[in-house]
Amino acid sequence: MAHYKILGQDPYWMNFYGLMILTLIEVLAVGADLDSFAESVGTEEKVITLWILTIIAIPKFIMIAAIFMHLYGDEDSGILTMTALFPAFFIIIMVLFVGLTHPDAASSLPAWCRPGTYGL
Amino acid sequence: MSDGEHHPSAWGPHDWSHGAPHNSWSPFILSMGVAIFLFSLGAAYEWGEFQGWGSLPLIFVGLGVISFSLLVWWRQDMSFGMHGEVFEPKSTGTPFQNIDIRKVAMWMFLMSEMMVFTSLFSTYMRYRLGIPNCKTVFHSGEWVEGTAVTCFEPAGHLIASSWFHIAPGAINTFALIISSFTIVQALRYAKKKDIDEDVRRRKVTRYLGTTWFLAILFLTLKMIEWFLGFPLPEFLHEFNHGDSEIKSLYAEGYLINADSYEHKAFDTDYIEKHPEDYSIPEESALYAMMEAGTHPGGKMMANIQVSATTFYVTTGTHGAHVLGGIIGLTYMTLKAAKGGYTPDNAVSIEYFGLYWHFVDLVWVLVFPFFYLY
Amino acid sequence: MRSRTKGAIAVLLVISAMLALPSAQSLPAGISGVQQSGCNCHGAVPSDSVVASIDGLPESYNYSETYNITVSFQGGPSQEGNVNQGGFHLWASQGSLGVNDATAQLYNENEVGHTEAGNDQVAWTLTWTAPATDTNVDFILHVNSVNGNADGAGGGTSGDMWNKLTITLGGPVEVLEAADPFVVLGVLIIVSATLLAFTLVFVFYRKDPEAFDWDNFAPWLADWLTSTDHKKIGTLYFIAGLFFLGVGGIMAMIIRIQLSVPGNDFLTQEQYNQFFTLHGTTMIFLAAMPMINGFANWMIPLQLGAADLALPRINAMSFWLQPFAALLIFTGVFSGHGADTGWTGYAPYVVSEGAHYGTTMWAAGQIMLVASSTLTGINFLTTMAVMRAPGMGWMQMPLFSWSVLIANVMLFLSIPAFGVGLIQVYLDRVIGTAFYDIAAGGDPLLWSHLFWYFGHPEVYVVIVPSFGIISEVIATSSRRSVFGYRSMVYALAGIGVVAFIVYGHHMFTSGMSPTLRFVTMLTTMLVAVPTGIKIFNWLMTMHGGSLVYRTHTLWALGFLITFTLGGISGMFFPSIAMDTHLHESYFVVAHFHYVLVGGTVFGFFAGIYYWWPKATGKMLSEKLGVLHFLTAFVSYNALFWPMHRLGVWGMTRRHHTYFVTTEEALGSLPMEAAGWNMFITVSGFIFFFSNFIMVFNMIVSSVRGEDAPDDPWGGWSFEWMTSSPPPNHTLYKLNDGSWGLPTLEDANEHIANEPGWLSSWFQRLMVTDQETGETGEASH
Repeated sequence: MAHYKILGQDPYWMNFYGLMILTLIEVLAVGADLDSFAESVGTEEKVITLWILTIIAIPKFIMIAAIFMHLYGDEDSGILTMTALFPAFFIIIMVLFVGLTHPDAASSLPAWCRPGTYGL
Repeated sequence: MSDGEHHPSAWGPHDWSHGAPHNSWSPFILSMGVAIFLFSLGAAYEWGEFQGWGSLPLIFVGLGVISFSLLVWWRQDMSFGMHGEVFEPKSTGTPFQNIDIRKVAMWMFLMSEMMVFTSLFSTYMRYRLGIPNCKTVFHSGEWVEGTAVTCFEPAGHLIASSWFHIAPGAINTFALIISSFTIVQALRYAKKKDIDEDVRRRKVTRYLGTTWFLAILFLTLKMIEWFLGFPLPEFLHEFNHGDSEIKSLYAEGYLINADSYEHKAFDTDYIEKHPEDYSIPEESALYAMMEAGTHPGGKMMANIQVSATTFYVTTGTHGAHVLGGIIGLTYMTLKAAKGGYTPDNAVSIEYFGLYWHFVDLVWVLVFPFFYLY
Repeated sequence: MRSRTKGAIAVLLVISAMLALPSAQSLPAGISGVQQSGCNCHGAVPSDSVVASIDGLPESYNYSETYNITVSFQGGPSQEGNVNQGGFHLWASQGSLGVNDATAQLYNENEVGHTEAGNDQVAWTLTWTAPATDTNVDFILHVNSVNGNADGAGGGTSGDMWNKLTITLGGPVEVLEAADPFVVLGVLIIVSATLLAFTLVFVFYRKDPEAFDWDNFAPWLADWLTSTDHKKIGTLYFIAGLFFLGVGGIMAMIIRIQLSVPGNDFLTQEQYNQFFTLHGTTMIFLAAMPMINGFANWMIPLQLGAADLALPRINAMSFWLQPFAALLIFTGVFSGHGADTGWTGYAPYVVSEGAHYGTTMWAAGQIMLVASSTLTGINFLTTMAVMRAPGMGWMQMPLFSWSVLIANVMLFLSIPAFGVGLIQVYLDRVIGTAFYDIAAGGDPLLWSHLFWYFGHPEVYVVIVPSFGIISEVIATSSRRSVFGYRSMVYALAGIGVVAFIVYGHHMFTSGMSPTLRFVTMLTTMLVAVPTGIKIFNWLMTMHGGSLVYRTHTLWALGFLITFTLGGISGMFFPSIAMDTHLHESYFVVAHFHYVLVGGTVFGFFAGIYYWWPKATGKMLSEKLGVLHFLTAFVSYNALFWPMHRLGVWGMTRRHHTYFVTTEEALGSLPMEAAGWNMFITVSGFIFFFSNFIMVFNMIVSSVRGEDAPDDPWGGWSFEWMTSSPPPNHTLYKLNDGSWGLPTLEDANEHIANEPGWLSSWFQRLMVTDQETGETGEASH
């Protein structure tokens, strides 16, 4: 249970309001026409949208974990946060090794790494 | 069973003044049910083809056995905390000193759940980054009408194409956040010591019931979005590309066996008539071709089985977790209605809530990356 | 309650029997259409009065030989001399049919029938050319016997009857006549299971001969089926593990019979594929893992001074998922269509139509095993994190507990990847998703990645608990605490972390990302460091101690030799260039059997001899134990050492046979290879049967072994403070002479009592309340 207040209000309610607003921004960001803005910074609308979504997902993630899952403000919050972060290393390894190794890697080797160039 | 008087039943209900349950039939029966279910499902379908009615009854036998074992499990646990005795062992060792064992176990479980969803996201990333995007292929003009090209068509391309398509997913997002909130409210009232028992019972039941309802709503909307679609009143048609309903992904042909998927975004004839809907970037090869009148044909066909597979299986796994939550919530709501939650055992709600919030967290990632992007 | 229990057991048995029945069968390809429907034009029902026959077919055919055959019939309304006497239709599933004259016509190479000209006779001559491969050929012959035309032309009254004849013909090796290895395996499994059941009943009888009837047996059995007690579940794990160790051994022996001589045809390629698949799956998932869980279930709570595991009912769940998963995995065997993918189940073959139907069930069964392992991991991690005796810090935990902790961390963080991969395979095969469908852009390497992300930690999961057992055994036998306790713990933890970043070395030749290949080459070489630390620590423990030779000591010493040899052969593989040459050869087989049998299984044997007195209260015979060790150790090395040589010669694994030649030719083996293979087979059989000495030893010990003292070997971790066997709710003999749950003060001073720098750092960071002795009540 939460033993603290956010801006003098109940933390669950405040968290709830915050999440609703952030989600609303997410949905609006997808619907909004960001073409002109994207062109002004020299990229595609898709990229801008993805950045907005990623940046908003992070505080949402933290808000749910910290306040609803009591990873902030309880006497056992510290160690449970460590527990929750324990798989981080293994998650990074999996994303790097499984998710981000290119399926066509072998056929898209740079020229100096292909057979036939050993003699230089 | 150290004391001779105490003979706990393996069917329940359990007498909690003697500690944790000693014997239980449910693990045995549940395992059997799972085996029967997986066996008969594997015999009923092969590569998506129905193999006849022979195994179907066995699927329902399997589901029946699973449900029965869950009922046995519930029956044993229903009495927990009902009559004042609460059996809540605490951790004796560092670093979890004095934390409830159940809470530690739940966090351990969530650790393995993180790895489950990481695996699914890794699969998605690999395919998303490794297979050329359908839009890119279309704009490159390197396709021939009538021959399917293998490319990745993110579900977000369909879903984020109009406000109405995005509606079920967006409502679901809100539903999950609200349900996360209602379950902490249930916990708050279950823990309140200074309120009347009857008030507490009603408050907890209502908040848990609301959570349950929102979870059901989530799955219903998911079905609408996947299979059922939703009719729109007439004045909204013009805002939905003229369609009279929110088309389901099924109706759009976004299927795991879609080897010849077509969409009007990949139809030069349609785009020429409706340039405001789908514009083609002016620097693309296709644009130059269309200007010169030499484009490769009207419609590009795409083999999007992998895209649909990753979408349905990842969101489906999340949906299965919601379904698991519904099973737990059903039990908890029934127990709350009997006045089963008191400040002494309210932590049960908190520990189920950890799981439920985790499902919400996953959705926070699934929604932008599978629905919006 | 009693009648309900009885009823429940009966229903459960019936449903289990239903589950075991083979129903995932397929129709042989092509039986449809005319060859089965019969002569519909001539009435719906066949008549017995017509007798069809095919003459000229051999009992078994020779490859590609052409046979002259005569089809004919007797009986029915047909009369000699009529114009219309009858007709026929012959279908052959394989080979090609041909006609000699105008009385018969060829529809296609599988079907032949009579012509108008052939209507006036009752026998026709044909040719059939046998197929070029060994297969079963089905012949289906329909004949109809007619009595002239309806209008009376040519005589007759148009009587009309037909009949059918089915003949199945085997190839040169007569696959139907020879004893089917699957039948051998099935019979052996059934015999073993029956023996197990009889033993069970006998154990119940011995418990109380007076009360030997069903009314007492049902609740006794129900108690075993429903128990959540860690010791009972540990025993169940052991029974399951040893049973499947035997089954996997039988499969290994059948494989060895096949490989004993070159060009053997005891197993077909197809059967061989199923045998090595099930051998691997059974040994890893159904033998090694349950045995680890058996040790862990029994000993972890005892070593921690806890009453039970943290989640007893989840523990029961973990166990019961395993036998039902085993049923699913073996479903294919009973229907003759077992998984034939190898235990690695590489995509895309695993989702192709070429893979047997049993593969679906194999995936389904393993999904259940994944669920089981996840629950086990959660349970043990929680137990070890929260239920150590008051005062026992991380750095006072016995090394066996540490090893199980590390193993479970690796297991439950890696197995979700395998589970997700299996669910993908299951969904691909069942509902037709496209994860590994290459035509749709699926990436088969994804499966390898997911599998080995799990698979490499998994092989450490099965070896690391053995490290723990060996540490306990060597320390006790040397009569001193283990040398370098802290470095042992950090080495274990190092193995646990490194396990996750080396898995790419299983995929060096698969065409994965070259960068990843390079990274995993370096990290794999790193594995030798923590493992080497452990080996030297064990040696130093013995060096500083005074060694007592017991059976478990011998096994531990044997472990040190064989595991070191296996580790050295393992160091050949990280080098990409070396690995490219050695992969898929018997060198690999030799390597992983040296670490999995010489490491894991030898560790298990040491553990069994070490803890048997504690668990059963009876001593094992040392004489039989030493005999077991000597025969097994010698025959084991004779079994696997020559495989290194075969691998360097180029004998490939996963191939059902091999050929030797005197010439220097690509892909052939020298003549000596045949002799070595026969030697390996003989040694294999000796090794297989030598392990029955241990089973015999166990039986003798249970029936009339001498009672064991509480601490027969002079060990000093908490489990030796209980009585032998410990009571249902474990009680420990405390320092003041009373019985209860211990704290660290009750422990012998040999338990290391200095906290490591890492744990004290954690302690400062996390724990505000330093009074670790003053904690709340333990789980009762």
